[in-house]
Amino acid sequence: MKYTKNELLIEVQGVNLSYDKQILRDINFRIHNIVRPDVNQGQVISLIGRSGIGKTQLFKILAGLIQPGSGTVKVGLDQHPVVAGEVGIVAQNYILFNHRTVHDNLRLAMKHASNTQNDKEKDALINEYAEKFDLVEHLKKYPMQLSGGQRQRASIIQQVLTGNRFILLDEPFSGLDALMIDRVMELLLGISTLHELNTLVIISHDVENSLAISDTAFILAREKDKEGATITETLDLIELGLAWNPNIRENQAFQTLVSQIKHKI
Amino acid sequence: MEKIKDIFNPLTHIKGRTLVMLIVTQAIVALLFWEIFGGNGLIPTPLRIMKSVVSIITTEYFIDNFFSSLGLTLTGMGISIVIALVVSYLSLIPVFSPLARFIVKCRYLTLTGLIFLFTLITQDGHQLKLSLLIFGIVPFFVTSLLSIIESINVQEYELCKTLRMNNWQALLEVVIIGRLDQVFEVMRQNFAIAWMMITMVEGLSMSEGGLGTMLIKSNKYIDLSTVFAILVIIFAIGIFFDFLLKNMRFWLFPYTKIHVRK
Repeated sequence: MKYTKNELLIEVQGVNLSYDKQILRDINFRIHNIVRPDVNQGQVISLIGRSGIGKTQLFKILAGLIQPGSGTVKVGLDQHPVVAGEVGIVAQNYILFNHRTVHDNLRLAMKHASNTQNDKEKDALINEYAEKFDLVEHLKKYPMQLSGGQRQRASIIQQVLTGNRFILLDEPFSGLDALMIDRVMELLLGISTLHELNTLVIISHDVENSLAISDTAFILAREKDKEGATITETLDLIELGLAWNPNIRENQAFQTLVSQIKHKI
Repeated sequence: MEKIKDIFNPLTHIKGRTLVMLIVTQAIVALLFWEIFGGNGLIPTPLRIMKSVVSIITTEYFIDNFFSSLGLTLTGMGISIVIALVVSYLSLIPVFSPLARFIVKCRYLTLTGLIFLFTLITQDGHQLKLSLLIFGIVPFFVTSLLSIIESINVQEYELCKTLRMNNWQALLEVVIIGRLDQVFEVMRQNFAIAWMMITMVEGLSMSEGGLGTMLIKSNKYIDLSTVFAILVIIFAIGIFFDFLLKNMRFWLFPYTKIHVRK
């Protein structure tokens, strides 16, 4: 599989977070632009850790919603410190504005984006995404009228429409049945290949599904006798030959890796 | 048979025709009971009260009094909701937060002790009634509005940030536009307080008339049929406005119907 890892897109350096006790300790990782010939190959990264380890706090730090006690998060080709609004977030409960229709929620995403499209072009783009992700017949509905899967799709598209290249997803497979998980994976892969620089960061405790969709995975865990979670392992799934394969879950090496990681976290 | 079983079964959700039937049956039974066994006492029976209702609402002075009370209530409600909204939205700016919290605590201040002060401040009976009404309602409005604001999920503000809104835009989207339907619901709920207070404040200055004035005068002469008839009218108007505001909310904010259905 021919590929190269080019520019640095996200760099997390020495991030620490404490409240009454240490939550996150010395988090370091880098995400590079993966380039493959003839493909808009975006990046899909997983941050895997068990519940209560501090994933949500890391999620908020990466999104620029909270400041770490120390350390930096740099994003973009020019590697500037992250500012809230530059990184999209899709919360676990797929939050949307309940007082607006799906269409208006999507339009709102474009209102403050740095694009120069007129209203007609914006609507055309919304329709294009809605068609691609099976939401056309739901555009006039309110979020309360949507199923969990539909809300999730609307929520993801909303973030894509802001023009953000970086999107964080908090537990995207949580509470979904096997069939829905496959659809979500398709959706995420679809989003990641829309643009070369699209970068999805999945924060999850679901080892198998997270690894199945990712090209890189970071394991967030506590080291023995040390307070606070840190990155204990980095898995380059491309190097391991376990990335970009829709049937990867049937692969024996993949299953072995999943059970090893489950044991470690 | 199954439906009869249901109405005695705890945690059973009944709706539609069954609920209407239940309400109507209980009301008829209660009124019949009152009519049959209450005839010998001081309290007038439902039939006598209904006769009084008919005779009151067909008189000309009722219309004047009714519009006087309604006008005062709606003016008081309108001014109160504007003041309460301004105070509640400003409470999100830290410097104004103590003022909002003080107004919430004013619920525990009794109006009786302040009537003299308000008489000094205001210029006529109308202003006195209006200012007392507003002073009485605003703390309840602010309390309800602040509880709405406090219950907003922080994720909605975070979503605004990811959509590149600044704090003012987030306030507009989440608190003002996003909670307009709930403001309307607060208005509906607090209309009851305003409507209840109207009879009390109208007793302070009777020159403009009003349902409260009618009630006090009838009470003075122990004309209980008229007293009960006015109470029935006040009750019916209150229920009507409750119904009206509830349906206006569904019409103005269609998504609230979805919440109800859920």
